[in-house]
Amino acid sequence: MSQIEIIKLNKFYTVGDTIIPGVNEVSLNIEQGEFLSVVGHSGSGKTTLVSIVGGILRPTSGQVLYNGCDICELDDNGLSEYRNKKIGFMFQFASLLPILTATENVLLPALFSPDQQQAKDNAEKAQRCLELVGIGEKGLAYPSQLSGGQQRRVAIARALMNDPEIILADEPTGDLDEDTEREIMELFSRINEEQKVTIIFITHNLELARQAKKQIRMHQGIVEELAL
Amino acid sequence: MKKFTFLAVALKNLKRKPFRSGILISAIAILVSLLIFAISFSISVGSSLKKSSDRLGADLIIVPVGARGFAEEFLLESKHTAFYMPKEMIKRVAAIEGIETLTHQTYLSSISGLCCDILPTRIIAFDPENDFIIKPWLQGSLGRPLQRGEAIAGFGTNENLGLGLLAVETTIFNNKFKIVGVLEQTGTGLDNALFMTEENLAAIIESGKSPLKKGEISIIFAKVKKGADPDYVGRVVEGSIVDVDVVARSNMGEKFLNVLADINKIFLISITLSSLLTIFLVWAIFSAIANERAKEIGIMRAIGAKESHITKLFFLEVLTLGIIGSLIGVAAGTLLAFWLVHTFTLIKTISAQLNLVHQLVIAVAGLILGSGICVGGALLPINRIKKMEPLLVIKEE
Repeated sequence: MSQIEIIKLNKFYTVGDTIIPGVNEVSLNIEQGEFLSVVGHSGSGKTTLVSIVGGILRPTSGQVLYNGCDICELDDNGLSEYRNKKIGFMFQFASLLPILTATENVLLPALFSPDQQQAKDNAEKAQRCLELVGIGEKGLAYPSQLSGGQQRRVAIARALMNDPEIILADEPTGDLDEDTEREIMELFSRINEEQKVTIIFITHNLELARQAKKQIRMHQGIVEELAL
Repeated sequence: MKKFTFLAVALKNLKRKPFRSGILISAIAILVSLLIFAISFSISVGSSLKKSSDRLGADLIIVPVGARGFAEEFLLESKHTAFYMPKEMIKRVAAIEGIETLTHQTYLSSISGLCCDILPTRIIAFDPENDFIIKPWLQGSLGRPLQRGEAIAGFGTNENLGLGLLAVETTIFNNKFKIVGVLEQTGTGLDNALFMTEENLAAIIESGKSPLKKGEISIIFAKVKKGADPDYVGRVVEGSIVDVDVVARSNMGEKFLNVLADINKIFLISITLSSLLTIFLVWAIFSAIANERAKEIGIMRAIGAKESHITKLFFLEVLTLGIIGSLIGVAAGTLLAFWLVHTFTLIKTISAQLNLVHQLVIAVAGLILGSGICVGGALLPINRIKKMEPLLVIKEE
């Protein structure tokens, strides 16, 4: 059984009288520990597909089976727990809360987890996550005091806080310079190899996409090819 | 590191816009202080009136016809008024069925410089033989009956009259009097008068400085027989003696209570309008907050926050604002009630003080209303933001 089985997935957006397909009859299997890149033009359905897999968007029809369980059938609480325990998100912008320090941003997923809320070693774990991404000394810094690359690292540390099985990254290096971009990708590779976390990342950059072990291209909501 | 909790996040959120938080806290504080002041005012005046009439210890008050208002002003408000009726009224009232005991008093107002060396005050002459109004307060203060040429000051008059130390000699209506004591506090208009026995009146009348004539009294206090209805007996007295007006204990301060009811209506309208305005303000500000933080809420939802977590976070913010605002309002309202209540002419001279239990109940009511209004105003924006689909708010620019 695959970790993720996507079966005949559809997502249509309605704009006025027009129905626009976001994801159109997509079926796809993703195995545990896979490092998958998703490429495609703007509006091709990459973000829609990954968002449905991550449980932050509900499909129009179809199934997304996580270890055999259809997450589309979950209610809001069930879906929130799925996102909290199984998924680590990274977005195409610096998605940190500006009022919280780096450590507090990393601690956020634990705050929303009933199991983690009472854990006494949360702060230590957050520090370990920050050290893992190479900014252990920046725990007390606020996002405004960090560079773009450091902010992305904090976001990765936050994604790792609840020991997720899947990390979903939507153009995580979009506005970073080449060196930082490379460092972030190396970090993903290391996490994928060392922690066996499934990583699915979206990018426009074919060069970056090739660093993944498996690639898919999307066009007009359809998965066109499984290799570049 | 301090424990990372929802409250910690809520407080950090409030600190990011201190001016806006301050505006909300101020609005709540003003509303609650208005409420506290209004309730304190209303309760203190109402209860003071009741206490005052109860403390007089009479079931009926009988005054010359047309002097009912003057009597209430004299007894409740400590106003300087004089009204007289023939002393034989005592016998006529005593003859009415249902009357058990009677006592009477005569009122004078001193005029500074002309006849007296004390500041203008009210003087009450009573008959020690049948008195039951003054005696309970006099026994503890003096410990012996008041003698001719002696006077005793009401609890609140000592400083007002400029008497200074006790045992001083003073001139009242060209007669020398020795102030021998201070009456215990009664919580009535008696606190603002000077007392002497009736035997001194003859000399005062002889001085020619007072409007009082021989054989006149001001007021009769009556107790009715056990089981008799004071209102009924009062109506019988009025029906039998056309020259008098009768005020039953339950009707004392009626004029005040009517005015108070109107004031309460004004307070109620003001508080209702202020509450609506505050709810609207909270709604507008939290709508703006919800829009500002839409992306942050989306991120929190994406990393696992449930709708209930978002609600909890916002409610903690709202409650913090509400509680801080309410506490400030309670303190400000209590101080206002304490300081301003006596600037109202209506109750200037009434002893209008609340006990601790009343104050606590009013404070809790203010706290609940302030916090409740804050929560009520924020309810719609919170409900809207928590229902938003995470991806849509995250991608919203």
